[in-house]
Amino acid sequence: MPTDSRRIAGPESSTNPYNFCSEKPRHELLQNGKRQDGRKENNIRPIFLKAGVVSQARGSAYIEQNETKAICAVYGPREVIRKEDFSMKGLLTCEFRFATFSCRERRQHQQDVEEKDYSVQLLEALEPAICLDKFPKAQVNIYVTVLQNDGSALAAAITCASVALADSGIEMYDMVAGSSVRVAGKSLLMDPSYQEEYKPEEDTGLTNSGSVTVGLMPSLQQVSAITSKGEIEFELVKQAVAKCVEVCTQLYPVLQQALVRSVSEKEDEDG
Amino acid sequence: MCFSTKPSQIYIDPTKSNMVDVLLSDAEKTFIIHGIQDNLRDDGRGCEDYRHMEIETDVVSSTSGSAKVRLANTEILVGVKAELGEPSPGKPDKGRLEFFVDCSANATPEFEGRGGEDLALEISNMLARAYDCPSCLDLGKLCVVKGQQCWVLYVDILLLECGGNLFDAASVAVKAAIHNTCIPAVTVSKDEGHVDIELSDDPFDVHHLDVTSAPCIVTLSKIGHSHVVDASQKEEACCLARLMMGVTEKGTVTALKKEGSGSLDPSSVEEMMETGKRVGQALNKSLKEVLCQEEQKGKKKEQTGFLR
Repeated sequence: MPTDSRRIAGPESSTNPYNFCSEKPRHELLQNGKRQDGRKENNIRPIFLKAGVVSQARGSAYIEQNETKAICAVYGPREVIRKEDFSMKGLLTCEFRFATFSCRERRQHQQDVEEKDYSVQLLEALEPAICLDKFPKAQVNIYVTVLQNDGSALAAAITCASVALADSGIEMYDMVAGSSVRVAGKSLLMDPSYQEEYKPEEDTGLTNSGSVTVGLMPSLQQVSAITSKGEIEFELVKQAVAKCVEVCTQLYPVLQQALVRSVSEKEDEDG
Repeated sequence: MCFSTKPSQIYIDPTKSNMVDVLLSDAEKTFIIHGIQDNLRDDGRGCEDYRHMEIETDVVSSTSGSAKVRLANTEILVGVKAELGEPSPGKPDKGRLEFFVDCSANATPEFEGRGGEDLALEISNMLARAYDCPSCLDLGKLCVVKGQQCWVLYVDILLLECGGNLFDAASVAVKAAIHNTCIPAVTVSKDEGHVDIELSDDPFDVHHLDVTSAPCIVTLSKIGHSHVVDASQKEEACCLARLMMGVTEKGTVTALKKEGSGSLDPSSVEEMMETGKRVGQALNKSLKEVLCQEEQKGKKKEQTGFLR
């Protein structure tokens, strides 16, 4: 494990106390058609979305889905530093980070494999939505930090980053809304919380267990990202993708509203 | 439909690491796209056909298991090393499976230095995700002492030549190499609190892992209005969006990923997944047959060598 020598790294080695739990309490995902937090299968958590939260950034946004909280800032278009990166299309970079304290287990300062994977997925979700040919030889940097992770972090990051991009005034074809679903047995739980999320180490004994995340451009009805984890029957994958598409379409007014509010706030400031 | 501003002005983005070294003019691209519309590809295949694939197992004697896959001019060598290590805290009664991809600069000068790192990470992440489900591979068999010692399988994937469709070829090679892997038998004896692990002297006292339900990755490339499997390098240069699926023999999906700078229509996603499932099941089936044949041939088979 590479460590950063310039940082003070806590104790040399430590173990998560949860590993010593004798028998992890198993929660049923669904009881009488209700989930642990009282939602129904199809219900998503309430979303708070606000654009224009980081003053130095060109564009920024903050998203909250109950306990899942993420912030995103967009910088650029600015000059590409490395000459060999010359391109007639703009260059887009994404950095997805979990704050070290955001998850149940503490994370390291250096980007780990999961964060790198999410960065790539976020980039691929956003790339189709941006008119990259409008800023040749320049780059746009997107930074997402998850402050607290209570499930569906990637979906929240996609939604948040696309609002931040729109807030920055970079030309886009459409915004991207993200949503995810947990597949457990025959049931599809929309917008899973951390406890409901698919974890490969938990052997649930179900034949179908996994999660699907989709990024959708709602007004063009184009899917810009799909990822899944876990083993799922083919028919259920199809259903899960369709459900996610449906939810993303429902999210669109929320994204629009956040943008409209930030624009009108800016206008008020300018007087 | 694949979405882009001006489909005729697609060009290869030098920052995209997985598009290796092909320059096509607009006319050549149009030729390929139109051909695919009529279910005829530039090498004469149909849209759902793979190129000729050759699989050879047990090619590197210093490994616990190895396999070489040649898919037209894509060549991938996989070596599996089994070592004893500590299990991860979340899964104390399971062994570990680690994927590493090495993009050799022999394949293309772009991989020199850190050039291939992004592609390597993408391939290893996709494989790790596809194998990360309890029913794919019985990792419980790799446990030696619960919570203390287990077998760690280091799966090293070496790209020797890049001729398109690296993900599928890599997944086939990985499955073949894990099938070929011999894990030495160990005996565990406990006395007075501490545990002794003894490795068997007999080199034939080994066990194998069952790869029947392990997935293969199928990449579907959206080109024009249609999609193809096993895109060649030229076709990859015409493609804006790809869908990668980990498919098992039963037809279940273990991983799904959209890749590339384009986006897809929800209905074409569904079509692509249908094709992926069908092709993936067929691929798994024929791979199983080939692996059975390889096993029966044993040591008597003819060695053919690399990069022919």
